[in-house]
Amino acid sequence: MSKGIPYDEALKRYQHDKEHTLPEMNEILRDYHPDYYPDSLVKLQVGINKGDLCHRQLAEMLQADARIDEADLAGTSITETNVLVIGGGGAGSAAALTAARNGASVILATKLRLGDSNTVMAEGGIQASIESGDTPQAHYDDTLKAGHNKANKKLVARMVMDAPDVIRWLIQEGMQFDQNEFGDLLTRRPGGASANRIVYYRDYTGLEMMRVLRESVSNSNIEVWDHSPVVELLSSETGHCAGAVIYSVEERTYKMIKAQAVILATGGIGRMHINGFPTTNHFGATGDGLILAYRLGAKLRDLDSFQYHPTGVAYPSHLAGSLITEGVRSAGVQLLNALGERFVDELKPRDYISAAILRECAEGRGVVVDDQTVGVWLDTPNMELREPGLMKQRFPKLFHLAKRGNLDPTKKPILVYPALHYQNGGVVIDENGHSTIPGLYCVGEVSGGIHGRNRIMGNALLEIISFGRRAGLQAAQNLSARGHKKSGIEHLTKLRRELSRANMPMDVKSPMLFPACANFELE
Amino acid sequence: MSEKLVNVTINGKKISAPASLSAVQAFWHAGYTRVEGIGCMEGVCGSCRVMVRRVNKKEVRMQLGCQTFIEEGMQIIFLAFPAPTHHAYQLSDMKNSWDVHSQFHKTFPETIDCRVCGGCTQSCPKDIEVQRGVELAAKGKFREAGELFIECVMCNLCMTACPEHIAPNHVGLFCRRVMAYFHLRPANLITRLEELRQGEMDVRTDN
Repeated sequence: MSKGIPYDEALKRYQHDKEHTLPEMNEILRDYHPDYYPDSLVKLQVGINKGDLCHRQLAEMLQADARIDEADLAGTSITETNVLVIGGGGAGSAAALTAARNGASVILATKLRLGDSNTVMAEGGIQASIESGDTPQAHYDDTLKAGHNKANKKLVARMVMDAPDVIRWLIQEGMQFDQNEFGDLLTRRPGGASANRIVYYRDYTGLEMMRVLRESVSNSNIEVWDHSPVVELLSSETGHCAGAVIYSVEERTYKMIKAQAVILATGGIGRMHINGFPTTNHFGATGDGLILAYRLGAKLRDLDSFQYHPTGVAYPSHLAGSLITEGVRSAGVQLLNALGERFVDELKPRDYISAAILRECAEGRGVVVDDQTVGVWLDTPNMELREPGLMKQRFPKLFHLAKRGNLDPTKKPILVYPALHYQNGGVVIDENGHSTIPGLYCVGEVSGGIHGRNRIMGNALLEIISFGRRAGLQAAQNLSARGHKKSGIEHLTKLRRELSRANMPMDVKSPMLFPACANFELE
Repeated sequence: MSEKLVNVTINGKKISAPASLSAVQAFWHAGYTRVEGIGCMEGVCGSCRVMVRRVNKKEVRMQLGCQTFIEEGMQIIFLAFPAPTHHAYQLSDMKNSWDVHSQFHKTFPETIDCRVCGGCTQSCPKDIEVQRGVELAAKGKFREAGELFIECVMCNLCMTACPEHIAPNHVGLFCRRVMAYFHLRPANLITRLEELRQGEMDVRTDN
């Protein structure tokens, strides 16, 4: 008898609707994607995720000492509110608006200024299955597949079912989308998807969304605290999250905000420059929320999985890391190596394309400038040749960027290289954004489980509104008649005990708050 | 490649830094602290407002610090971000689109006092025809006015420049928002919403 798997057993394994990943895709990820760099991962030694794999740089922050102790809180001012939202991007704004409209008193505290966020920089668009040939099921399947089947299925199902209503909600906040001559929303196809599903406004989707949400928040009774980074969350005697300690950059002092529910919407980690990559992220993306939630005991996931956007600008170097939207590839622009050859299907998922670019560069087919910069071509002139004028109309931000770098995308291809873009994992949440800690919600990039190990384009802008609204509603509806009896930072005592038991260096402090380049020190 | 250093003055401090740096980066490069008024560093959040005077030029220009590359002899001052505008409104206060015109003048009564001084247009770092937008809005041409503000990053520099406190960027945003709120009714989206309402579109999660 020949070697193999018996008929019945094989039939049992067979699934008629299974998605097949060709081996080459796995190989190229394993060999070239930065998540698999040797020595980049460590096992966590402290906290609820003890034993889990985590990127070395993030682990250092998760296992660092807190910035404050009891003495810092003596005599600080105390403000009380029903719901405290931390973070001033799209997720925080959607959560705050929904909580306030459902009767809660809301304070929105943000490290930078309301609206200074990754949301405002988002270019490509937002996913919603609205075309007649498309379905929420297809949206669900594409999201799971692009995330290598590691996403939380319930969260994905909620999000894709919410999507069309998210667009309606945004329109009712006053957000515009690009339309065709019949008034239908225009759609384009995200890399790794089976249908045209991205709705957008030029390559300013995030800007259009954020300026509208900011105006809505400013016109509400939400109290906005700008320049107020959170340095620690507060815990109650029953282990609930009970507020936060903020540092007022303007007044150079700590303040306490006591709340019955806290919604953490602090975004991602780009400015940690994981694996030394340049980033597309804004100035405040330092991963603070992950550290704050972890100290309170919230479970995290996928701490070894990050997204590198395939098309960050590589040259000129002062623009390094600036994002060129995936929309450009959706519209048909191709990638070429230094030999002028195509080397990848530009509409595959992002992790695969980034790994393919890194392979070209590692194997000597990259374009080298000044002996230090390497990249591949984004063939914009060819697109101009095929559809003259279309790029300039659809991608005005790209042309502004090119102007700053003295480039003409219609004449010369742009040199691109992957840039750190997104944190795939984050705080474990349920369908209402609730973490494993009572009273603590996490929405947007700080949460984990929606994207598995690779996010597909357009699901970030969708997620922030979908789960922002869910958490805002849930928080407002579950206010208890009386607040917490005690709230403080007692949980730090346990943290410090664990840190010293694990021999962690106590001279490292977190959260990071601001990138080192800005020379900021706490008083 | 060793980069050429240029000498500039930022917030009164004399600084030498490579010419490829922005005003924000040059200030950090010299060791100074600045975290307020820094956001996306890509010119879309409108936080890093600066006043700039170039060498031998009389004119003072308003720009974004992250988009301003330093030049020899440049003088740069960072501006604090102004308090939110007093122009408050709720889209839901307007019963239908016939109400928009009167709501606009109730919310932005100063627009009819526009002196046509051009300060708003001159101060715009995105080269928007701001003053024309205000004129069009005051005449009830909300679609045309809103289209002019596509690239607006809400830096509020036009608001700072306006002697009549018109808040032209908020005028522009009002125009854009009412167009979406009352007139954006895409058939493909509405069809799908109806299918969802009828329960025709469930997601199977069992595989």
